[in-house]
Amino acid sequence: MSTQLQTSGRIESGTLIEVENLSTHFSTPRGVVRAVDGVSFTLERGKALGVVGESGSGKTVLSRTIMGLQPRRGTRLGGSVRFEGKEILGLQPKQMRGVWGKEMAMIFQDPMTSLNPLMKIGRQIEEPLRNHLGMTKDDATATAKRLLQDVRIPEAERRLQQYPHELSGGMRQRVMIAIAMACGPTILFADEPTTALDVTVQAQILDLINEQRRERNMSVVLVTHDLGVVAGHTDEIAVMYGGKLVEKAPTRRLFAAMKMPYTEALMQSIPKLEEPSHTRLATIPGRPPDLVNPPVGCRFSPRCPYASDKCREEEPPLIPTADDPSHSYACWYPVGSPEYLEARARLDAQKVKVA
Amino acid sequence: MAGTGKAHLRDTDDIILRVEDLVMEFPVGRTGLKVNAVSGISFDVRRGETLGLVGESGCGKSTTGKAIMQLPRPTSGSVLFEGNELTTLEGQAMREARTRMQMIFQDPISSLNPRRKVRDIVREPLVIWKRGLPTEQLDKVDALLEEVGIDPQRAAESQPHQFSGGQCQRISIARSLVLDPSLIICDEPVSALDVSVQAQVLNLLEDLKAKHGLTLIFVAHDLAVVKNISDRVAVMYLGKMCEVAPSDVLFEAPAHHYTAVLKDSIPVPDPEIAVGKVAIEGEPPSPVLPPNGCRFHPRCPAADERCSTEEPQLREIADNHFVACHHPIVGGEAPVAVRSATSPVS
Amino acid sequence: MRYALTRIARFVFVFVIVTFLVMLATRIGSKDPIRDLAGGQVSPEVMAKVEADYPYIEKCEGALAYLPCMGKQYAAWTFDMVRGEMGYSYAQEQTVGEMFKQRGPATFWVGFWAIIIGLLIAIPVGVYSAYKRDSLFDRFMSFGSFATLSTPQLVVAVFLLYAVASRFDFFPNLWNYVAPWSSPVDHFKNFFLPSLTLGIGLGAVWSRLLRADMIMTLQSDFINLARAKGVSPNRVLWVHALRSSVLSLITSVALQLSGLVSGAVVAEQFFGVGGVGGRLVIAVQQNDILIIQAITAVVVAVVVIVNVGVDLLYAVVDPRIRQARALG
Ligand SMILES: Nc1ncnc2c1ncn2[C@@H]1O[C@H](COP(=O)(O)OP(=O)(O)OP(=O)(O)O)[C@@H](O)[C@H]1O
Ligand SMILES: Nc1ncnc2c1ncn2[C@@H]1O[C@H](COP(=O)(O)OP(=O)(O)OP(=O)(O)O)[C@@H](O)[C@H]1O
Ligand code: SF4
Ligand SMILES: [Mg+2]
Ligand SMILES: [Mg+2]
Repeated sequence: MSTQLQTSGRIESGTLIEVENLSTHFSTPRGVVRAVDGVSFTLERGKALGVVGESGSGKTVLSRTIMGLQPRRGTRLGGSVRFEGKEILGLQPKQMRGVWGKEMAMIFQDPMTSLNPLMKIGRQIEEPLRNHLGMTKDDATATAKRLLQDVRIPEAERRLQQYPHELSGGMRQRVMIAIAMACGPTILFADEPTTALDVTVQAQILDLINEQRRERNMSVVLVTHDLGVVAGHTDEIAVMYGGKLVEKAPTRRLFAAMKMPYTEALMQSIPKLEEPSHTRLATIPGRPPDLVNPPVGCRFSPRCPYASDKCREEEPPLIPTADDPSHSYACWYPVGSPEYLEARARLDAQKVKVA
Repeated sequence: MAGTGKAHLRDTDDIILRVEDLVMEFPVGRTGLKVNAVSGISFDVRRGETLGLVGESGCGKSTTGKAIMQLPRPTSGSVLFEGNELTTLEGQAMREARTRMQMIFQDPISSLNPRRKVRDIVREPLVIWKRGLPTEQLDKVDALLEEVGIDPQRAAESQPHQFSGGQCQRISIARSLVLDPSLIICDEPVSALDVSVQAQVLNLLEDLKAKHGLTLIFVAHDLAVVKNISDRVAVMYLGKMCEVAPSDVLFEAPAHHYTAVLKDSIPVPDPEIAVGKVAIEGEPPSPVLPPNGCRFHPRCPAADERCSTEEPQLREIADNHFVACHHPIVGGEAPVAVRSATSPVS
Repeated sequence: MRYALTRIARFVFVFVIVTFLVMLATRIGSKDPIRDLAGGQVSPEVMAKVEADYPYIEKCEGALAYLPCMGKQYAAWTFDMVRGEMGYSYAQEQTVGEMFKQRGPATFWVGFWAIIIGLLIAIPVGVYSAYKRDSLFDRFMSFGSFATLSTPQLVVAVFLLYAVASRFDFFPNLWNYVAPWSSPVDHFKNFFLPSLTLGIGLGAVWSRLLRADMIMTLQSDFINLARAKGVSPNRVLWVHALRSSVLSLITSVALQLSGLVSGAVVAEQFFGVGGVGGRLVIAVQQNDILIIQAITAVVVAVVVIVNVGVDLLYAVVDPRIRQARALG
């Protein structure tokens, strides 16, 4: 039912992207902003990776840097990004043109501002088709119509002739997905694709992305600040804090055995439907780190309830857990460690005393 | 859902706000058509209670909040607040009444004047209303800022853009409290914030509510958030009321099919819970030409002939649990409805 | 429809205010408007004839009677204008209508080519400077436009006249009106320098405005999306970005129009263009009241009409505006 444009002949598995020690630093009047600071991970074909972290943790900069869309002014890049084995970090936009849209596609957070307001929907979808696949105008129009049907937009024919402002937010986000899918990319970056949308529409959009991923054996990087969003829609989750990767694990594993106190705190701050109303929410005290002068040692240490002097002096490396090499974390006293349990007991005792 | 009716209104002394048959319509250009943003809803709020208002985008939540404030005045209906009928109140009396209720908006940064210092922004209502001497005003402002967790010193020196989204929301909360209102209408106050900041703001609202004896109307589309903060929740769909119940009951056993859809759409932070099929297809119909009968019937899995012709009334199906549906879900099971041969238009 | 009506009402209002003020200006400084109209020291017979031709022109006196008296004159003048009677210049021995027929085209072409030259400079420079922000090109252009803007048009005109016109025989020593369709080359020879004098200034202003707007546009999400789609950088720049920045360019073109009039006067004077601007200067010196009033009326009307046109253009460029208007 779907447009299987590029899927044939695609290698079914194996590593698609290898990110190594990637850093993106911005020179600003205040100093160097270390928005992404030494991030490494790999992503397999057909898999979905969730990138989670609070606002300002560098999720957007990370995905844009991997795609090569980060504006170059005042930006310093470091490390390496290998896509299908080829180094692509620092390539000129001219060299990336064949990759953008065709191999890598992106969906942005705000469907209201991400479509060209002055161009008909149809033309915006046709552009990459004609550009990359060299389709004729008629073929492109027919394909655009089929793409709109794929993302379940009713009256596709008529929509092609409409402008973005004539569509609702959910519809526009679907159009964005249709554009991203147009040339059958191998990887899709979705940067908070549903933050601007309603819960019901959010469910529809996430489902749609997942369905397209399975159908096309495409990899997905799903960026969000909501652990709930990634839980049901990803194979793996990477947690970012202050420009660093602090924990990465297969989704089930992460939720079952999170190691990093920050992940735990993020999890606990979500209001849950199972809890009775007026349940006190756990909060993370303090504020996100200043990326110009990040805290010494563990970047989370100023806000971490379990931090000791070691945390404030030495930076914990990202290491795999003993029992599962696919689960790694960066913390001196991870959840479940003796020191953690001790600190936990101490904190609980304090709470009792206060109460 | 497209329910009307007032079975759920209570008759006790401590009702601070009572809204009846509220209707708000907006003309569509000069076409003679109108947007039926709110079509006859009724509800009440007790002193000290938090009423949650949920529903998807465009269902009329913000319009309801603004209509209570008489900004603008509703097309028809009654809004009884602290014993005053606001829809007919004029001039000074209206302005006085407005100080007793305040509104907090979704976008914290743009709802604050970007060119003024934060401390002055919070103080402004006091200056306008000439409440107290300047030193008293400043003391009060500083105390409030302290309470919402903003350093008064920094507030005196900085403009809104120098604060983060969460901090700006705290600032607008402080501003809304400065005239000692009794009712605060929060229009999606945490929708633009990320989860960790959202938790801080929700906790803050709970604390302030207890401390200042506030009554809250809390508008949001995130059910888990609404459940956490509310005592009672009202679910809206396309300008109508579908279901009203204490929040624990509502999410435990939703009786309206739309509430069930909303509940199923929430992303659960637990991968073990299999993500089901999309709870609902399609988008809400246009409020310009709303469907007849129950306004939800074109998308409802249990809709039958009756739903498309007869509008359901709110009725009590369990203690304090009201629903406007011909075939409510009882005991977790929806009644098997005979779907009409002509399948509903989507 | 209502939109169009309110627009028209507003423009009529502007037109009346401006032309009335101009009329006031011609009268306030004058001891005897009839004599001014007649062309200065003339015989009593001529004076009598002028008075007979224009019985409604008189000197208004008295604090209370002043405005009503002016109002009456304005009404009579408007009535003449509506009938197509723009008046007669006794000093030039020519009707104002003839004057326009003779000199209007020259001014039109100077202005027209100035706008074209301005756009030809502004669009590439503005777009490219925004694209290569802070590059050598951008800095050079930014300095260039700053220098141009701080140089009075007079100086530009003098420079072009002496450094270019007098060095190359290509440009005629004596200006001569040639329509573009009768001889394109001669038309170019006659009109290039005066238009360039004006066009450089316009190009400098517009390129700065366009650059600023393009920098904003280039940072917007939809441009990022276009790039992420793999659209070629040129297409991103010239199709996606320029189109949305063009609205502000159109606005500034319309805004500059009245400035163009004063510039045209300078350019015409220097290059001896037999245009309306030159005549306006003489008319002001002589207080040739009907000519002054008619020229300003035409200028205001042109500015107003262009603004209406710009409004329509907005709707062509931006579908959101189109929809809002259809509804409102
Ligand atoms: N061009 C830039 N110059 C300087 N600093 C920048 C630039 N772009 C981003 N930053 C900074 O880098 C940090 C990471 O930003 P990023 O947008 O990646 O965060 P995020 O995790 O996507 O947050 P959000 O959830 O709010 O989208 C922020 O502190 C931001 O202020
Ligand atoms: N001033 C207005 N003029 C015309 N239509 C309006 C106006 N204000 C609101 N509407 C319409 O009324 C309906 C209800 O809008 P409202 O803002 O109350 O929805 P909401 O439930 O708050 O949605 P959201 O979650 O998106 O904030 C919408 O269809 C909206 O387009
Ligand atoms: S390293 Fe220390 S400060 Fe950092 S998260 Fe672990 S315990 Fe907390
Ligand atoms: Mg982001
Ligand atoms: Mg709203």
